[in-house]
Amino acid sequence: MVKSAMATAARPTRADYYQVLADNLPPQALVVTSLGNASYLWATLHEAPENFYFEDAMGLALPLALGLAVAQPKRPVIVVEGDGALLMHMGALVTVGAVNPANLTVLLIQNGVHAASGGQALTNAGLDLAQLARASGIASSENIAKPESLAAKMRAGTKRDGAECLVLATEPDLEVVRPPVAFDPVATKLRFQAAIGAPRYVQTLFGGGKLEGG
Amino acid sequence: MNAVLAESAETHRPSAVLNILKQLGFGAVVSVPDGWLGEMLVRIEQEPTMRLVRATHEEEALAIACGIRLGGVRTALLVQNAGVLSMGAGMVSLAQRYQFPLLMLVSYRGTLDDPVFYHVPKGRVTEPVFRGIGLAHACVDRHRPIGPQVEQAATFAEEASCPFALLLSREDIQW
Repeated sequence: MVKSAMATAARPTRADYYQVLADNLPPQALVVTSLGNASYLWATLHEAPENFYFEDAMGLALPLALGLAVAQPKRPVIVVEGDGALLMHMGALVTVGAVNPANLTVLLIQNGVHAASGGQALTNAGLDLAQLARASGIASSENIAKPESLAAKMRAGTKRDGAECLVLATEPDLEVVRPPVAFDPVATKLRFQAAIGAPRYVQTLFGGGKLEGG
Repeated sequence: MNAVLAESAETHRPSAVLNILKQLGFGAVVSVPDGWLGEMLVRIEQEPTMRLVRATHEEEALAIACGIRLGGVRTALLVQNAGVLSMGAGMVSLAQRYQFPLLMLVSYRGTLDDPVFYHVPKGRVTEPVFRGIGLAHACVDRHRPIGPQVEQAATFAEEASCPFALLLSREDIQW
């Protein structure tokens, strides 16, 4: 298991939570991970075609995952987003609350810093993000302080009517994890779409001009 | 559709836009509205084969559209030109970098036909900014039927695996 360089007894590491996620991943789950270690570490622990890794585009993992959940309503979609990224596009939380897809789980890493860019302080590191998520329309929102609590939550697999937001109190991990695979954005996308059997565009030269299959 | 009906639908250009989106199998539209787009969005919401997602910000809308397309559903983005100006980072680092084919129908505010004092600054820079960020685009030709132009834009997006922005006038999109 990859260990955070700054792990303390105060808060669990991202790796601790990720191990729980890997051990309890629902069948057919699709996982979208934010930039930096959110993606690098997940690739280290659970490299799979059903992962969609962000390389940059900070703050856009959550809205992309929302779109994916809308397009793939029969599959669980799990997105790992950071607190700093969320603050950049807080409106996305409101849109998630409005659309409220029951197949979307938001795992929000709350480490109080912009970890992917070196650990700069957030505008406000002490927000109650679960309360914010509830106020945004995501009724099933909870602050979580221990990996065991996340494990219990995932194992329970409670049916719900809408999206879920679990805020994970986490120690910052500033040491960049080297992923086991090269990240190529187009390859990531195409591999992902093939894995889920998404309809593909057939070019007009071949008599297509529309999405087919899937 | 017979010739009379076709001409009628084409006379009302917003109807023609909606019709061609349905014909092409667009299953989702993501939007941040403006004054011209508002009624079109209501019509889309009433379509049984289309899903409308109302976003809070255009860059967020872009990411939602990428996610829907990633999941295999053909997706259009309906926004104002000011919204495209505010989605530059997501455009280059997500939509273009991952080569998402997206049809963008963009209300072109602040042109000679829309000389509203607060829209003009946005209209003036729209096309230079589009060129600057490498966003493929075209202005609708008002003397030609709108439906085929939307279809061409959608086809370009798919064949080139990139977003394509079609800049629309009021009569193209305001219901």
